[in-house]
Amino acid sequence: MSITRAPGEPPHLAVRIEGLFKSFDGRRQVLDDVHLNVPRSKIVSIIGQSGGGKTTLLRCVNLLERPDRGSIEIDGEPIFSGERVVRRSLAKLRQKVGMVFQRFNLFPHLTAVENVMLAQIHGAHVEEREAMERAVQLLRRVGLGHRATAYPEQMSGGEQQRVAIARALALRPTVLLFDEPTSSLDPESTGEVLRVMRELADDGMTMILVTHELPFAQEVSDWVVFIDGGRIVEEGTPLEVFQQPREERTKAYVANYAAHFEGGLEEAERVMGLKPAGTAGHQS
Amino acid sequence: MSLVGLFNVAWSDYAPALRDGLIKTLEFTAAGFAGAAVLGLVLALMRLSPLRLLRLPAALYTELFKNVPLLAIIFLTYFGLVSVGVRLSVFQAGALSLVVFYASYLSEIFRSAIAGVHGGQQEAAEALGLSRRVTFAHVVFPQALRQALPGTNTMLVDLLKSTSLLVTISAAELMSQGQLIASETFRALEVYAVIAVLYFAVCYPLSQILLWFERQVRAGVPLLPRRRRRMRVVRSMLEQDAVA
Repeated sequence: MSITRAPGEPPHLAVRIEGLFKSFDGRRQVLDDVHLNVPRSKIVSIIGQSGGGKTTLLRCVNLLERPDRGSIEIDGEPIFSGERVVRRSLAKLRQKVGMVFQRFNLFPHLTAVENVMLAQIHGAHVEEREAMERAVQLLRRVGLGHRATAYPEQMSGGEQQRVAIARALALRPTVLLFDEPTSSLDPESTGEVLRVMRELADDGMTMILVTHELPFAQEVSDWVVFIDGGRIVEEGTPLEVFQQPREERTKAYVANYAAHFEGGLEEAERVMGLKPAGTAGHQS
Repeated sequence: MSLVGLFNVAWSDYAPALRDGLIKTLEFTAAGFAGAAVLGLVLALMRLSPLRLLRLPAALYTELFKNVPLLAIIFLTYFGLVSVGVRLSVFQAGALSLVVFYASYLSEIFRSAIAGVHGGQQEAAEALGLSRRVTFAHVVFPQALRQALPGTNTMLVDLLKSTSLLVTISAAELMSQGQLIASETFRALEVYAVIAVLYFAVCYPLSQILLWFERQVRAGVPLLPRRRRRMRVVRSMLEQDAVA
C-alpha cells in the first residue's frame, strides 16, 4: 500500500499536506518541503530525533504553528494555501482536528468530566445534558467512568492523558493528533494510554502520531514517516521502515533505538507491556 | 492603675456612634475594594496587552500610585481637587482614594496571576477551537483567580485597616468616631484600646474566613451552584449505571 503516491485512488484524505515550509526566526529551517497524505481511518506515525521537525509538522495540521508556505487540506477543504490561512473560522477547523499533548494540558480547575464538557458547551454549543452524557460515555470508553468527578491533580499521569484523549474526542473530530502522548509517562501509564489508542485505531479513527515508541508505532501504524532535519527522509509501511530501512539515517535511528533494549524491538515491546512476557524468548 | 480604673467611659452612650462608625468603615471597605478590584483587573489586562499604547499608561499608573502614600492621595482628592472645581463628598473622596491606591497593588497581583497560568492551557484551549473570550472566561480567569486569592485577601484586610486614615478628613468611620469620643471623654487610652479591639474583631474573622475560602478553592470544592448541580447529576448518572 502506498499512501503518499496513490495514482487514481479517490482520495478520501483526512489530511493532505503539500510542499510545506517552516522556519523559525526566518533562519533555522524546521520543515523543508514536506508532503504528507493521511487517508481516512489510517494511522500515520511520524518518527525521528528530537528537533527534527516532527512536532512542528503535527502542530501545523491544526495551525497551532503557522507554516511559511505550502498547502494543507483537512477533509478535502483547504485551510492553508500559499502563505495564508484560507479557512475563515479557525475554531471550526480545530473542532475537526483533535489534539493530545505530551504534557496532557488538562484544565486543572475542572473535574475530568468538565474537561470533556467544556469545548462541547462553549465551543460547539451542545446542550448541557447532552454534553454531560457524551462526556461520561467518553470517559467510560477510556476506562475512567469512575474518575469523572476527580480533578487532574488527583489522577495519575496515565489517567490524565486518557482524560485528555476523551476531551479531544468530545467534538467528534475527523482526525486526532498525538504529540508524544506517552513521553512523560511511566511504563505502566504508557501501557494504559497505548491500549486506549489501539482501541481507537481499531474503531477506525484517523490518527497522526508523533512518537518515540517505535514498537507501538510499528504495531498500529499503516504508514511510518521518518523525518530528520525538517525533511521526510524515508517513509513506508512499518515493515519497510523498521525492518528494511533503505536510508542510512533511518537505519541508524532504528538501530540506536533498539540498542537501548538488550533484546531489540521484541524486548522493547515486552518492557512496554505490548507483548506478554515470554515472547521475547530467553531474555531476563 | 487597676483594670477597673481603665474603664470609665459610659460606653452604652457611645454604642450607636461606634455602630455607625463600624458600618461606615465597612461601606468604605466594600466600595473601595470593589472599585479597586475592577480597576485593578482592567489595568492588569492592559499591562498584558501586546499593544504598547495600552501597556504604557497602565504601567505608569501602577508605578505612580504604588509609590505615593495613601494619605497624600486622600488629601489630594479631598482638599486638592476642590481648587480645580471638583468638589467631592467625604465618602466619594475617601472611596476614590482607596480605589486608585489599591487598584495599583491589585493590578500587580492580578497581572502576575494571569501571566502565571501555564502557556499549555492557552494552547489546549486553542486546539479545542475555543474563542479568546471563552478561553479567558473559562480557562485563564478561574486559574488566575486561584493564584491571586492569597494576595488579594491580604489586600482586602489591609484596605479595611487603611480606612482608619480617613480620620484625617473626618469620614465618620470607626477611627473618626473614636477620635470624637476621646475628645469628649479625655480618656484616650481607653477609647483607642476599644477602637483597636473593634478593628481586630472585624479583621481577624474576615481574614480567617478568607483563608477558609482559599482552602476550599484550593481543594477544588465547586463554588458555583451550577457546577455543584452538574457534579450531582454526573454522580447520579454513574450510580444508576452501577446499579443497572
